[in-house]
Amino acid sequence: MADIRDAHEDILLAPIEKTGRGFYIGVAVLSVFILWGALAYAVQFFEGLGVTGLHQPVGWGFYVTNFVFFIGISHAGTLISAILRLSKAEWRRPITRMAEVITCMVLFIGAGQILVDLGRPDRMMNVLRYGRYQSPLLWDATSISAYLMASLTYLYLPMIPDIAILRDRLKKRKLFYSVLALGWKGTERQQRALNRAIAIMAVLVIPIAISVHSVVSFVFSMTLQPMWHSTIFGPYFVVGAIFSGIAALIVAMIVFRKIYGLHPYLKPIHFRYLGQLLLIMALLWFYFTFSEYLTGYYGAQPEEMKVFWAKFSGPFWPFFWAMVLCNFIIPLACLVRLGQRTVGKVLTASLAVIVGMWLERFIIIVPTLSYPRLPFPEGIYLPTWVEWGETAGSFGLFALFYLLFTKFFPIISIWEIREGREVGVKEVEERLMSYLPDEAEKRT
Amino acid sequence: MKLPDSDFDRLVRKLQWVWVGGAMLLIGGVVTWIVHLILTALWLEDVPSASIGIALVAIPIFLVFSGVVIYVFWNVTLRGEDR
Repeated sequence: MADIRDAHEDILLAPIEKTGRGFYIGVAVLSVFILWGALAYAVQFFEGLGVTGLHQPVGWGFYVTNFVFFIGISHAGTLISAILRLSKAEWRRPITRMAEVITCMVLFIGAGQILVDLGRPDRMMNVLRYGRYQSPLLWDATSISAYLMASLTYLYLPMIPDIAILRDRLKKRKLFYSVLALGWKGTERQQRALNRAIAIMAVLVIPIAISVHSVVSFVFSMTLQPMWHSTIFGPYFVVGAIFSGIAALIVAMIVFRKIYGLHPYLKPIHFRYLGQLLLIMALLWFYFTFSEYLTGYYGAQPEEMKVFWAKFSGPFWPFFWAMVLCNFIIPLACLVRLGQRTVGKVLTASLAVIVGMWLERFIIIVPTLSYPRLPFPEGIYLPTWVEWGETAGSFGLFALFYLLFTKFFPIISIWEIREGREVGVKEVEERLMSYLPDEAEKRT
Repeated sequence: MKLPDSDFDRLVRKLQWVWVGGAMLLIGGVVTWIVHLILTALWLEDVPSASIGIALVAIPIFLVFSGVVIYVFWNVTLRGEDR
């Protein structure tokens, strides 16, 4: 299997072998955002959190919004890769690597938001030394550590045969690829061991991912704050996470399809299937949002209603209705009929969902803190250039990490495409036949 | 198990041990941290049941990760060419 080359394989290796001007321009543009973020953090580090818009009672603003948002995006890898791999969905083959890379990158960025949110980052050591497991914040730290390790392992294992291809074909970075390839030669024993390890990780990573976002929601729902103390916050957050993860994956696919010419691999059919998944998630997201707000409204607790109306028609109404527009109306309009211009429609819906899901995280966190249950004075949160800079820097860092990854490793799994051609087609036919009633049974 | 021949191969093999050893160290570090938190909770009599309950779920997961890493290293790197 390892000797047969796909006709389009050179497209996948081209970004690693050659570096065009576009790459440097991309790095330069992203560096501007990252420098803005670095400058903002430097100012915050030396001056303290007073330079941000965070104050009493709103102690969590953009940083915690970004944390929940980025951890949510990380679910792309789980859903697309693990679930599709386990369910033997053959169309996954060109998609899995991109999804897994998103997961690993955003987990680093998401976890980093908590460090940025600390006015005294040196006190992070106290969490390591004196952390208390009664706090859902520490549950978060544990589950995110587990998810990060699972995701890194799950990204690395299917990359081993591809790294071996790079080791054998490229003249540069010989030592680097030789070490990471772990002596891969494609023997039967190696293939069997790798497939088994990937299957174990695929099974393991799904419950871990679901637990991660449930635990992220516990940070809010374990409190008695109005509109946070909800039993459906766990699944609500998980659905939102998968929703934003699919959208981020689609955007990444379309961007790299364009800049690296991956059209032979990423076809409209892939975007159609992902668009259908996105539509299902949009409907599920609407169901959970409706349930969440309906139960709050029906209970009509005064503290809850204050936050409720602040979102619906108070100071937060533009964000709330923009969220509904981006997460439900635009995706519905774009994805219900995917006849023509599939890629354009799916891209529009995905960009809308990314904006909408960031707004959703914001609209969950900030209004509740602005109208606290305890008799604190109410307050409105206005982010300063520092938070905008940190946010721009975080997105820039994510994009830069992703771009750099494509310079070292193929963004589409080469061996899985080969396997699809050589083994998958026959296997699918046999599997399909096994689903159908036997000819002999039909006659009797 | 075939031993590496050239200097380059020997260097690669050493670095592979470092690579896998680093992964094990990372996983071991997290497990050690969780155990440390349980011991701190017991020492301070600070609701140790919560720590032990969560650790009972978390530690086996990390041990499975280390098992997968060792399994792959053994079957791909050390014994990959046996048959």
